[in-house]
Amino acid sequence: MASTKTCFVTVGATASFHDLVKGVLASSFLKALQSHNYTDLVVQYGVDGKQTFESAVKAAGSSGIQISGFELEKAGLGKYMRLAKGSGKETQEGVVISHAGSGSILDALRQQIPIIVVPNASLLDNHQVELAEALAEQEYVVHGKLENLVKALENAEQLRQRQKEWPPANSGVHRQAKAVGLRGILDEEMGFLD
Amino acid sequence: MAPHLSFPIALVYIIILLIPLLTLRLLAILPPNRPPPAKRKRGTPTRLLIVLGSGGHTAEMLAMLRNAEASGLRWKDYTHRTWVVSSGDSVSADRAKGFETEVAANCSGSRVKDHALGISLMDSPEKPRAGEDVVGSYDIAILPRARRIHQSLLTTPISALYCLYHCFRILSSLPASQYPDLILANGPATATILILASLILRFFDIRGASKRGTMRTVYVESWARVNRLSLSGKLLVRVVDRFLVQWPGLEGVGGRGEFLGVLV
Repeated sequence: MASTKTCFVTVGATASFHDLVKGVLASSFLKALQSHNYTDLVVQYGVDGKQTFESAVKAAGSSGIQISGFELEKAGLGKYMRLAKGSGKETQEGVVISHAGSGSILDALRQQIPIIVVPNASLLDNHQVELAEALAEQEYVVHGKLENLVKALENAEQLRQRQKEWPPANSGVHRQAKAVGLRGILDEEMGFLD
Repeated sequence: MAPHLSFPIALVYIIILLIPLLTLRLLAILPPNRPPPAKRKRGTPTRLLIVLGSGGHTAEMLAMLRNAEASGLRWKDYTHRTWVVSSGDSVSADRAKGFETEVAANCSGSRVKDHALGISLMDSPEKPRAGEDVVGSYDIAILPRARRIHQSLLTTPISALYCLYHCFRILSSLPASQYPDLILANGPATATILILASLILRFFDIRGASKRGTMRTVYVESWARVNRLSLSGKLLVRVVDRFLVQWPGLEGVGGRGEFLGVLV
């Protein structure tokens, strides 16, 4: 049996992101997925993304990629993250495409799944672009642009070869004296005698 | 003829006199003039209030609390936890419950009191039975949203006021029948309103809120903020007792930002 390889797309729980849903269902992107041996595309399309998703699937026609979608998952996206991570022979490691919400980025970083981060430009302010840029600069993620998801996918396939650990091994090292983290601050502010 | 002091002019004088007084009061309860926390022994009853937001804020909060636990934070020192979630955000409420279940499971032989099962969220906690080793207790309090994503900026003040009203209720009428000792928050707008509510209670020293040194505040700027503060961050940087940032570019921001490395 041929092994499966999953691309998991998430737009988050709070805001809609129709352009990303349409983007990953564009025929050019589906072709790119096929050429990188992907078999499955799973889209979490969010609260009001169902229609966008369904019409885009219809427009895409048959593509050779198994496409499925869902609105939200109350229990968290862990299950889908693991699907994208793959487990060895029968399921290869795929990729996560995220709307740049910090929750999904953190999940992917911790599990070391290659992740493409596509900031949602329609939100109040797009600080997520800065996060995407900062993380891409340090080669933790691929900063994807809506207009060029195919290129982002190629970059993600390369990122896979040099996936880094999270949390960063040297985090706080130059702060050893204060390496108390949040625990230290909370204990201090609570006034605990030690 | 003696000048007659009309009512509007008298009012203006009173206001002009009040401004420096109010300013002095505000300066006295804000950092750096606020007195340091009173020392207390571990094991004495404490109340920690944790504000969860939607999606990413909740994920970050739980991630950093797990890291804090991994680096030695003992939940039994924080004897009562109040988790504040926005109305309609059952995902966050479930994740808070899940977190408490983990806390209980990690402390084998002990258990956490769950007050979150019923609809009445303002119940007073049951007393732990004698001989029972309890990892403290918790409750989940629900706040109406201060601002929905994409909500018009025009109607935001109204929903924010409604949210403020509920903040007072949560801060002053919850289980331990005392104000929280510590409020831990990251980015969501509800957190800003809640901290504003705590500030008002302390400003007027309502039921000793200020004198007893209650409601110290720790704000953690979102990991998603690399170079610029969020709106919540900008509003709170001079207000909270500790202001933590997670990217070196924000260290020292507003003269306050503390960078201790990535916390999530």
